[in-house]
Amino acid sequence: MKNAIVAAALMALLSVTFQVPSASAHKLRQKGEAVTVADSRLTVTPQCDWNRLSGKPGKNAETWTLDGGQLNDLTFYAGIEAGKPLVKERHKKKDPLPKFGKSTLLVELPELLEGTYRTYKKIGAFQLTSTAPARFLGQDGVIFTYDYTDADQITRKGEATAAIVDGKLYMVSFDAPRLHYFDKAIADVRALVATATL
Amino acid sequence: MTLCGASRLLASAVLALSGVPASAQKAAVLSPYAGVYQPQGIDEVGMWREDDESERALAASPLVIRDEKLTGYIRDVLCATVGLDRCGSVRVYVIREPVFNATMSPNGTMRIFSGLLLRVRSEAELGAVLGHEFGHFERRHSLAKFKAGRSGSDLLAWSGLLTSMVRNYTVLRAYRDLRWSVYGSLFRYGRDQEREADLLGVSYLNQSSLPPQAATAVWQNLMGELAASATARGVRKPNFNAVAFTASHPPQGERADYLAALAAPEAASRNDGTARYREALAAWLPLLLDDQIKLNDFGASDYLIQNLASDGWTADLWFARAELYRARGNQRDFVNAIQFYANAIAMRDGLPAAHRGLGLALIKSGRQVDGQAALQRYLQLSPDASDAKMIRLMIPGGSMQ
Repeated sequence: MKNAIVAAALMALLSVTFQVPSASAHKLRQKGEAVTVADSRLTVTPQCDWNRLSGKPGKNAETWTLDGGQLNDLTFYAGIEAGKPLVKERHKKKDPLPKFGKSTLLVELPELLEGTYRTYKKIGAFQLTSTAPARFLGQDGVIFTYDYTDADQITRKGEATAAIVDGKLYMVSFDAPRLHYFDKAIADVRALVATATL
Repeated sequence: MTLCGASRLLASAVLALSGVPASAQKAAVLSPYAGVYQPQGIDEVGMWREDDESERALAASPLVIRDEKLTGYIRDVLCATVGLDRCGSVRVYVIREPVFNATMSPNGTMRIFSGLLLRVRSEAELGAVLGHEFGHFERRHSLAKFKAGRSGSDLLAWSGLLTSMVRNYTVLRAYRDLRWSVYGSLFRYGRDQEREADLLGVSYLNQSSLPPQAATAVWQNLMGELAASATARGVRKPNFNAVAFTASHPPQGERADYLAALAAPEAASRNDGTARYREALAAWLPLLLDDQIKLNDFGASDYLIQNLASDGWTADLWFARAELYRARGNQRDFVNAIQFYANAIAMRDGLPAAHRGLGLALIKSGRQVDGQAALQRYLQLSPDASDAKMIRLMIPGGSMQ
């Protein structure tokens, strides 16, 4: 049994090691060019070049980065419907994630992101640090900050802006290591979030 | 840790476990502890080197809860369980991770996960788990396992070579994960070793001032939690492999039985240290509960809260249960949550977060006016709350200032 697991692990490793670039490779998102994100009508215009990572964290989500996903992670959640989680669940029944709901209030959106991170990453070290009103997509929304430490032992800071439009959740979150990377990119992130339209 | 009469006694006891009625079995009498141990042979020296490196990283980890009082208390419980001569070889680290787990590695590093502290209810139960882990350490099970499974390290050598040919983070991460899973399987003990550690654990408790019967209670409690979790999720059968600590262990029912049989009957009346344990954990309980209820495991969390409340409800427990129900977010849950928040407030009014949750639950169940009054009270109690600006907007006449 153990040998089978080990063999499977080795095969998985080999397949990653020798993978050929697929059609859905990373894409450049160039400064000044408006693009839609996460297969939705949500449109943003970056103020500097970003990379869109291949592989989506969820059906209605998309991740961009500058230096790599571990160093700066800008994730768009666009049009999450009531009853759906923010990202794809590992197992719907055995390992469910918290769901966005019809009755979810703006002030509860930070708790939704917190619960998603804690459940998905199986961590305890997560702290919401501030929550304040904000305008987003021409609506009343919420902006909140947090920090957390997950399995790689690096403490990251995060800032997210969110609003609920026609019963659907739209949110942009930015996570980066507390050391250097968060402060380096947060101004660019805020400039990008300010360009978001539906 | 020399092999001596006691180990033969133990080995025969382990062999005896199969086929002899549990009531006829005896826990071993412990030999005196041999004291400072130095690794011997190439395998063990190499293992210790890895282990020392891993402990260095652990000592600097942001996930370690650095509370001397708490760590000292856990250490005291370990010493009370295994004896002062034995516990001198252990360094205790408490890690903030909401899972039922504790591990002890070859060089004497004991990792206690915060989720364990929420699940044991007395010094005796904590001692039972720590004693079991110490049993693996004393018998150097990881070394035997390492020698038996050395093919694992060959696999790592090959995959390390392959990984070095391709430099990208995804591959490195896959290798790192593989490394963990291979080492993880090396440190997963076999059933016989688990039984041996169980026997030793009970032997420690028999010779301590704590009642050894607690060992059974730990497993029964864990089975109850896993069953409750599965029921709430609509999953048919509890998956015992999902819990790291129990993954390779003997069947739970069998285990609870033989642990009970090995415990010295005359020790059942000893003080199990429930009151002392509760007092030592009081300051940490709100945080441990918060980490648990945010894991989106309704059944397990509700089971744990009710279990903790079996000796009487407290404001912290009512509040945690209220937050749990509000998070699940069915309309019927808000009705329950409102009641639980009210219970918490009745016991301790100065709990700002309870007024916040009550306000939100009332608003979500259509009771705007009452909800706004509760939020008003929240802001009175906690004017500088991190979400005060947002909450002010929800109150008539409120502004962002």
